[in-house]
Amino acid sequence: MSNARMRSPLGRALGLGSAKDGVEAWWRERVWAVALAPLTVWLTVSILMRADKGYAAVVAWLKMPVTTTLMTLLLVALFHHIAFGLQVVIEDYVHSRIKIPVLVGMRLGCLALGVAGLVAILKIALGA
Amino acid sequence: MIIRSSDEVPRTTVLKRFPVPRNFGVDAASRINRGRTWPAPRGATRIKRFDVYRYDPESGQNPRIDTYQVDLDDCGPMVLDVLIWIKNTVDPSLTFRRSCREGVCGSCAMNIDGTNWLACTKFNADLATPATIYPLANMRIIKDLVPDLTHLFAQHRLVEPWLRSKSPEPERERLQSPQERAQLDGLYECILCFCCTSGCPSHWWNGDRFLGPAVLLQATRWLVDSRDEATGERLDDLEDPFRLYRCHTILNCTRTCPKGLNRGKAIADVKKMPIERRS
Amino acid sequence: MTRAPSDRQRPLSPNIQIYRPQLTSVLSIGNRITGIALSAYAVALVIWLVAAAAGPDAYAAVDAFIGSWVGRIVLFGGTFCLFFHFCGGIRHLVWDAGYGFSLRAIYASGWAVVAASIALTALTYVVGAILAGYGP
Repeated sequence: MSNARMRSPLGRALGLGSAKDGVEAWWRERVWAVALAPLTVWLTVSILMRADKGYAAVVAWLKMPVTTTLMTLLLVALFHHIAFGLQVVIEDYVHSRIKIPVLVGMRLGCLALGVAGLVAILKIALGA
Repeated sequence: MIIRSSDEVPRTTVLKRFPVPRNFGVDAASRINRGRTWPAPRGATRIKRFDVYRYDPESGQNPRIDTYQVDLDDCGPMVLDVLIWIKNTVDPSLTFRRSCREGVCGSCAMNIDGTNWLACTKFNADLATPATIYPLANMRIIKDLVPDLTHLFAQHRLVEPWLRSKSPEPERERLQSPQERAQLDGLYECILCFCCTSGCPSHWWNGDRFLGPAVLLQATRWLVDSRDEATGERLDDLEDPFRLYRCHTILNCTRTCPKGLNRGKAIADVKKMPIERRS
Repeated sequence: MTRAPSDRQRPLSPNIQIYRPQLTSVLSIGNRITGIALSAYAVALVIWLVAAAAGPDAYAAVDAFIGSWVGRIVLFGGTFCLFFHFCGGIRHLVWDAGYGFSLRAIYASGWAVVAASIALTALTYVVGAILAGYGP
């Protein structure tokens, strides 16, 4: 829009018009945040209680079905929350043409990290 | 420290401004230079220093900060009185907007000691020394303290701030119950000084698309008006990741409103309206 | 409709360079910075899980880093970021629900976030020390 100097002020303000969408992303952002909050408390308390216990104890803890379930939920909620959060940050500060590639890369990164975490959880849980 | 209303002046200041260089991330034409110093007139009895942003479009030079030694015993109690005193007795070229001098017209909005307020309702006694006066933040500057508000008024025009009705025009006034009328309290009083929008970081980074608190407050005012029949269309036009949802509830708007209006609350209510009509 | 005035040469008045830091904006930026930092800690969480899945040797290497001085400082920073972002996040959720918008509530909840994140960080380390046997 840098060479839109002859465009009327209203035309510039209108831009490409309303997306007639946005509540969906806003709402999901909140739902994932609400889901993440108790899981974060659980993880913090669990790690605190198992600090300095060593490999065997940690793996035994991770093998418990409750742990596997909650850790899976946590990873899913966490990386959704991160993806939504970083998307807003990137949209706020990146205004050049690299914005879209950066957004895509960020989301793929979140997906990859989340899946890696889930695979690790399952591998421990199934004892492979 | 707890702030109870927007006109409260903080008693302690930890940081006067964010720890970034003065010309951080600023384009070449906007870099600010040191200007000249205007000494107090002979016989001045109570002198206070004011650092004021100056820009003369005809000079071809960058903006600068001029320093004025103001005789407080020779002028009125408000910042606007100081500006008028400077213009009358020291430097007639100083340019600023003013009209009502009592906080109802919104012309003299500017950045005073780091926050946006109306010069006519800000006491000199509440200012730091030296006091700093800039135009409204993040605006294209026409001259000195006069910002170009064209884009903001275009954004205001965008939300169609007038009654839109589909029923045939009635013979008499469109009636409203006292309760329905009360819905407009806290919304209609806005004087469009744009202190809030100019103080909103989200509008700094995305002002081309984000409508900003002043305009969103006006959009709310028409969304909740019982006489308006275009609520759905208005919501369609607002529901956008940038126009509305770029508000991150920073709430600088509520902190800086010279009329004490709660812009944050109004915008939060609008954000939820599209959910109500979906589920 | 009037034509757009040419604003090509008009300077932009300063924004973040001069605007006074207030509890509102400082906590907002704080929430954002801690959020970005916590994204890095999420990567660390995944590394920790992958190491645990890979076996005792890989886990021992990660554990050694966590036990080092650098690791401890990083973990302490992460603990504070977590509680700050957590408390700030709850404050935001309450706002999103439509409550707590009076200036008084905005400032009270803001200071509460600061106090709670410091207190919870301290509490975590005290409890951790007691559980590890350093306590009374």
